[in-house]
Amino acid sequence: MSRTVLAVDDAMTMRKMVSFTLRSAGLEVIEATNGAEALQKLSGAQVDLIITDVNMPQMDGIEFTRQARALLRGRPVPILILTTESDQSKKELGRAAGATGWIVKPFQQEQLLAIVGKVLPGSVTAGAR
Amino acid sequence: MNNELHQQFVRDMLTESFEGLDRFDQDILQLEKGGVPDETLHTIFRVVHTLKGTAGCLGFTRIQRLAHAGENVLDRLREHQLAPSTALAGVLLRLSDGLRAHLTSIDATGREADADHGALIAELDRIHQPSTSVPEPAAAPRPAIFPEASVPAEIPVATAEPAGWGLFDPLPEASFPAPSNATAASESSETPPAFASTATTATAAPASSSSVRVDTGHLDRLMNLVGELVLARNQLMQVAQSRTARPETVAEVSQRLNRITTELQEGVMKTRMQPIGNVWSKLPRIVRDIAVGLGKQVRLETIGSETELDRTIVEAIRDPLTHIIRNSIDHGIESPEVRVQAGKPAEGTLLMRAFHEGGRVNIEIVDDGAGINLHKVRQRALERALLSADDAARLSERELIALIFAPGFSTAEKVSDVSGRGVGMDVVRTNIEKIGGSVDVQTTAGEGTTLRIKIPLTLAIVPALIVRSGAERFAIPQVSLVELVRLEGEAATRAIEQVYGAPVFRLRGQLLPLVFLHAELKLVSKPALADVVHIVVLQSDSRQFGLVVDAICDTEEIVVKPLGKHLMGLPMFAGATIMGDGRVALILDVPGLAQHARLLGENRERAASRQAAGADDASERSQLLLFSLGGRERLAMDLDQAARLEEFSRDRIEFTAGREAVQYRGRILPLVRVGRHLPGAHASAATGDEKIQVIVYEKGGHAVGLVVDRICDIIEEVVDLQPGSATPGIAGSAIVQGRITDLVDVAYLLNAAGVSTTRAA
Repeated sequence: MSRTVLAVDDAMTMRKMVSFTLRSAGLEVIEATNGAEALQKLSGAQVDLIITDVNMPQMDGIEFTRQARALLRGRPVPILILTTESDQSKKELGRAAGATGWIVKPFQQEQLLAIVGKVLPGSVTAGAR
Repeated sequence: MNNELHQQFVRDMLTESFEGLDRFDQDILQLEKGGVPDETLHTIFRVVHTLKGTAGCLGFTRIQRLAHAGENVLDRLREHQLAPSTALAGVLLRLSDGLRAHLTSIDATGREADADHGALIAELDRIHQPSTSVPEPAAAPRPAIFPEASVPAEIPVATAEPAGWGLFDPLPEASFPAPSNATAASESSETPPAFASTATTATAAPASSSSVRVDTGHLDRLMNLVGELVLARNQLMQVAQSRTARPETVAEVSQRLNRITTELQEGVMKTRMQPIGNVWSKLPRIVRDIAVGLGKQVRLETIGSETELDRTIVEAIRDPLTHIIRNSIDHGIESPEVRVQAGKPAEGTLLMRAFHEGGRVNIEIVDDGAGINLHKVRQRALERALLSADDAARLSERELIALIFAPGFSTAEKVSDVSGRGVGMDVVRTNIEKIGGSVDVQTTAGEGTTLRIKIPLTLAIVPALIVRSGAERFAIPQVSLVELVRLEGEAATRAIEQVYGAPVFRLRGQLLPLVFLHAELKLVSKPALADVVHIVVLQSDSRQFGLVVDAICDTEEIVVKPLGKHLMGLPMFAGATIMGDGRVALILDVPGLAQHARLLGENRERAASRQAAGADDASERSQLLLFSLGGRERLAMDLDQAARLEEFSRDRIEFTAGREAVQYRGRILPLVRVGRHLPGAHASAATGDEKIQVIVYEKGGHAVGLVVDRICDIIEEVVDLQPGSATPGIAGSAIVQGRITDLVDVAYLLNAAGVSTTRAA
């Protein structure tokens, strides 16, 4: 059964690239353009993984992570933060908010999929690309 | 990585980033003016931040590096660690220019621009870290060393799910290299982009014009209409197959089809519509740059930015509008000191107004500057030899203003940085006319100038008049159409006159230059009726001319198809269309046609049009020939009508066919005694005189000598011709040099004398 990823990014092109990478590996993708929208979509769907940007209008990725954790009520859904920020203090903020991992953009497709495969074993279809 | 997909992502990035940078510019201008809400600061930051991330993934390292330097500054700005200033705004605008230059280059060639913007990056870094002259990121002295490496990989995350993936560890290839220092090193250790292209990317269509955003609700409505269209088609097929279809049924189906098509046409048109604000959004930036560059203060106001027009037109007016604005600020709006002296506010105002009117879009550019200096225009035109001294003195205000559109014209006292680049107003007008538009200028000295552009809503489907010449049909876009004239019988044979060898038609007292379509296109004329002449009166850059065609068919909405490459160079045709019967008709390009006809006889037409202008605008300055007759001391005629003034000795008068004539330049010049045909005058009082005074009048290669008693003077004056005189032979009266003077109607005189200079054309 294919797994569903909630991809959150306000940047249209980046969102498309992430979605494309995940879909080509056999994952279902739900897209959201900011934290608030993502929370809405999260409450209405069975999501297995969240990948979120940090810098977004309305609600940023860190705050979204915090609220998503509350919404998930302990359900072990990994949350990956995908951002150009590599500042250590930001990373600590992300970790404190409940993020599972921190990926620095620009990303490589293989690298992103390797990490997704790590947090969601068996989700990435080998050779799907 | 799929190349096509890569290009799609690149196009997405371009669209997204161009939009973002436009917003960025506007926000920066706002920032420069005064405080902006925090949210705006975040938006500004995000534009550059997003571009950095996306460009990095697509392998555009120069954008990535420049955006990174910018992002650092914008980060401090949004944290209120930097205060907004004009200098800062200037640097940030340069940042957006630099990024835009890269994007534009990618759009055109698939690669980033060659410039690496080293100076700009250094400046941004200096603003970012003012304390150190050489920017040295404290945390990352060399890109190969990652400070976070000391953080234990297995720090448990705060939540319950499995930890220990080490995903907070930096992945070496995922870290962004330190900014600005050791650029060569960082370049070589650059992350391979996620979506690197596997082939050259030079073939991508420009993103700026290849995609359009459509409201999904509107798309649904279109789909509905298509659904209805399919139903109508099914119905039509059924009717076509049925042998017993009643005519009413056919009419019903076709009516339905007609309605759906019209709605669909409007609907699809609407998807192509864009608010003019899309062009205007770039203007504040342009206005700022020009104003700052020239040391002027200009406030830009816009009204009607939601006015929609076809996107091809939006694209087409972008450059002309920009240039007009440049001109208005450079030549129109004065420097603050001059303005204050003139009692105006130091800050000039530039108003852009757009509105729909009669199926066209009007755009007005109004400045409250000094207005166009007509004196300077005249001088400059003389310097540039654009016209003769005679003409310069004679030109009306309106004609003088029109000179600013003449090629190679500029009234700037010094060629400034602003006006020096770009194009002249002639190109502006040409570009606007190319899309079927027109430009009009009004100016008041000391108060300002208004430029009014009128353009059609769309170029794809236009109403047109279908005419026939020879065996061919032609479409004339209705925007150029003024009126139709149909002449029958005797009127037809007499209507066309010759002035300086050029055919003209006298339309309500104006001389209208005529162009014969069949002659221009080298067709064989086949009039439907032998004694009927059809004249289509057309307008081309504030000038009218008559196009003589064999038949006038109908008006139709035509779909404009561009001409093939091999026919593209023909100026007389604007395109082609397919008629209801499936045959192709060429669309005439009215300015092109006028130009083509003028090439064949510029002088003739100029002469004709000058006469036309003289007759047209009676209040304009005109040159008059004053003469007197016995009993009528003060008469005048238009000097343009007089080819030459001659004196003949009385004994040279001969008689031919019962008419007085003289031998003149090897030909017979019939003489007309003006006094005999003008009521109130009597035959020459000075009968004993040895000489006679003759005004030689020429028309269509024929000459007539008008005999008067005395040729008094040639004067130039503003003549306010008052008609109303019922006297035959007198066109009207005017006050000339303080005395009432009657203007002679030469055509009437000749007619009365039985001398005809008209000949069938």
